[in-house]
Amino acid sequence: MALPALLLLAVFVYGVGSGIIQGFGIMPFLDRTTFTLEYYEQALTRADLAGSIMFSLYFSLVSAGVAVVGGVALSALMTRARTGRVMRLFGIQVPITTMHAVVALAVICLFSGAGLFPRVLHAAGLAPDATWFPSVVGAPSGWGIIVVYAWKEIPFVAFMTITIMMNISSTLGEAARTLGAGSLRAFFGITLPLCRGAILRAFLVVFAFAFGSYEIPFLLEPTVPKALPVLAYIEFQDPDIINRCYAMALNGIMAGICTLLCVAYYAVLQRDRRGGRGEHDRRRKRQSASCRTGEETQ
Amino acid sequence: MTAASSHTTAATADMHAELAARRRRARRGLVVTRVLIGVELALVALPLAVVAVWAFTDAWPWPDLWPQSLSLRGIEQALSGRQNMGWETLALSIGIAAACAVITTTVAALACRALCHFRWRGRSAFQFATILPFIIPSTVFAMGVQVVFLQVGLARTVPGVVLAHAVVALPYAIILMTDITQAAGTHREEAARTLGAGPWQMICHVIIPQLLPGIISSLSMCYIMSFSQYFLTLLVGGGRVQTFVLVLFPYLSGGDRTIACAYSLVFLAVTFAVFLIFELVLRRFGVREEGELYG
Amino acid sequence: MQVALEHIDLELGGKRILRDVSFAVEDGQFVSILGESGAGKSTTLKVIAGLVPQDAGRVLFDGACVDDVPTHRRNTAIVFQDIRLFPNMDVRQNVAFPCKMRKMPKAERLATADAMLEAVQLAGFGDRRTYELSGGQQQRVAVARALAAHPRALLLDEPFSGLDEQLRDEMRKLVSRLHAEFGMTSLMVTHDPDEALVMSDVIVYMSEGRVVQTGSPAELLLHPADDVVRAAFDNSSSIEGVVDDGCFTSGKLVVPAHDVPRGPAVLVRLAGRAPFVHALS
Repeated sequence: MALPALLLLAVFVYGVGSGIIQGFGIMPFLDRTTFTLEYYEQALTRADLAGSIMFSLYFSLVSAGVAVVGGVALSALMTRARTGRVMRLFGIQVPITTMHAVVALAVICLFSGAGLFPRVLHAAGLAPDATWFPSVVGAPSGWGIIVVYAWKEIPFVAFMTITIMMNISSTLGEAARTLGAGSLRAFFGITLPLCRGAILRAFLVVFAFAFGSYEIPFLLEPTVPKALPVLAYIEFQDPDIINRCYAMALNGIMAGICTLLCVAYYAVLQRDRRGGRGEHDRRRKRQSASCRTGEETQ
Repeated sequence: MTAASSHTTAATADMHAELAARRRRARRGLVVTRVLIGVELALVALPLAVVAVWAFTDAWPWPDLWPQSLSLRGIEQALSGRQNMGWETLALSIGIAAACAVITTTVAALACRALCHFRWRGRSAFQFATILPFIIPSTVFAMGVQVVFLQVGLARTVPGVVLAHAVVALPYAIILMTDITQAAGTHREEAARTLGAGPWQMICHVIIPQLLPGIISSLSMCYIMSFSQYFLTLLVGGGRVQTFVLVLFPYLSGGDRTIACAYSLVFLAVTFAVFLIFELVLRRFGVREEGELYG
Repeated sequence: MQVALEHIDLELGGKRILRDVSFAVEDGQFVSILGESGAGKSTTLKVIAGLVPQDAGRVLFDGACVDDVPTHRRNTAIVFQDIRLFPNMDVRQNVAFPCKMRKMPKAERLATADAMLEAVQLAGFGDRRTYELSGGQQQRVAVARALAAHPRALLLDEPFSGLDEQLRDEMRKLVSRLHAEFGMTSLMVTHDPDEALVMSDVIVYMSEGRVVQTGSPAELLLHPADDVVRAAFDNSSSIEGVVDDGCFTSGKLVVPAHDVPRGPAVLVRLAGRAPFVHALS
């Protein structure tokens, strides 16, 4: 039953793997089979690499942070107001459905030098002319990239957390309130800690996505530093095919950073599990199962 | 009136005042919540509205807040079939996305079943593997798999693109289906089996209906992911497989904003239309929501 | 505390759940709300606790309207059917939770928690994780947690329905004993007529969102106001008890039995006949 999924995952692993080994200079299709660290050395000693890594890390972490805080807040608000299906459809599903690059275009329309926002500022008497407002395209702080990810991923995080939050809030949150906890206390003391697993997972997904995608930085980033995926693709496109090894070395670095983060996530998860947290779902099922059958749970 | 009873009256009045204040506070809390949700909805609508207006803009000089003149130029070009764009591209993109959605969802449904209902060796390793495409960026996968697909003849073909899309959509589909598979359990299947249901009847009448909400959201998510996939399609399709996004993308960074917005608008219309169809199907089958039932 | 509901109406999702529900509970009484599933019993508890606001009518605690008092200030702890222990806390922290909400100092609240655990015969279980306990133990922790709140009214929502028969019996005895010991007004939702008969001072019978009859167990048993009430007590198993001074007694159920000799007896109910007491010796 797991076989088809294993096949797809094998394609993934094979694809990534064949890329990674090219980073070590091994390209069987060109009869190059000697292992070398030359390309990693070149990549790591490259002058602009540190800048690129820092820039990628910076906007991905900020985006993921903003997305998680905003997304949890959104999902808490909707849980509290018992927002109906249609509103949730619009507030959550529409941004998820919209393509990233289109959001980037909208952000350009809004915040470029002559965009709608500077026009509003002008109408309010703040902006003297079209060059006064610093354009979002190529802004060194990368705030346009963060805005795009915030618009897309805040609803995504809400989507990932709202079901479990509504469930916990309607059972355990309710119990806490009958025992004397106010709504805020019930939320921060019971609901939020029990959603921790889902929230961490959402953070990881958003971070890895922002860190590894090409489109948004390509459209909005400054000339220097470039985001890692853009840098890698530029090297990948080089007419000299040997240059690909260099691109793959950059990819290897990217994959390495993501894997490190994932290991950290698992460490937290394991610690939680030993501490008896983060397993809310399974335990709740056990509780309700034991409630149905009255049998010993283990 | 005695002193004691007037004292009680005053106490009652106090209590009423306190209750009224409390009621106001509670109501204000809910109003603030509603207003914040309203702000979120407005922030969602704003960029989409701006793109929609730009798509019909002919001229919009600084510093006007509304276009000077409107025209259908952009929309006409977006649908005319010039620049490789047109109904064929649209049909191809929809076909690829639909194929990816069906394949990925089926694979994910089977994988979730294996993960939730069976204990087997390597299960936790498999579980870890399913989130790999979340962790390792799809750009890394795209650049690596290109050579592999070239060697086996999948590069620059539609099946190759579908396969690549399915790989990166898989973890999303699995996340969307795990909880519901777990919750559905196997006890209804056992019941159906004792009532004489064969394997196919079981799939049609028991398994699929109880997983339906998960299946629909997975289909919809995979469809959207495939339909908006730029980088992966560019590398695996090698320019030979022209999807909508591939045509749209150069305009985004290019000069003519009206054309870019017009393409984006068509793109949004198509994705939302498909999304709405999925929603209607979900309604049609009367899927109830959680959290609305009281015992 | 005295609890009174006055003309409560409630509609949820287009369905009328409660229609003109009124009844009053005296201080210290044990009241069962009896009825079939879907009769609106649990919703009535949630209205009392303030979890679900009613559309019309008033809820009074000791004669004062509490409609504007939020749930966490009503001081009515619920023991839920699905238990709802907090999985991120150990047993002691669960029981101490209401004390923490009332800003009780740490040492004091942990002591309270241990005292309550002892009251439900779970002394020494404080450090366990909730999921290590059996279903019956979990439900006892839930009862201890509710008691730790020193509620003005204890609300029990089908607390025994998830347990097997023997455990149920133990739990009934425990809850009756705790009610006598702590003396707070208690309301229990149940669909088990026998449970209601032996445990309650007063039974409120509900059907399709309405209160059909309110009275002592013997009144409902011997003088049902409606066919649904009569049907509820028909065809049940016999209830064991003792006859003394011309009365059959089992728990809180007291039925006149003048011509039955003293000693162990059973109360027998058969469809189409009035219930009668039969001596066992």
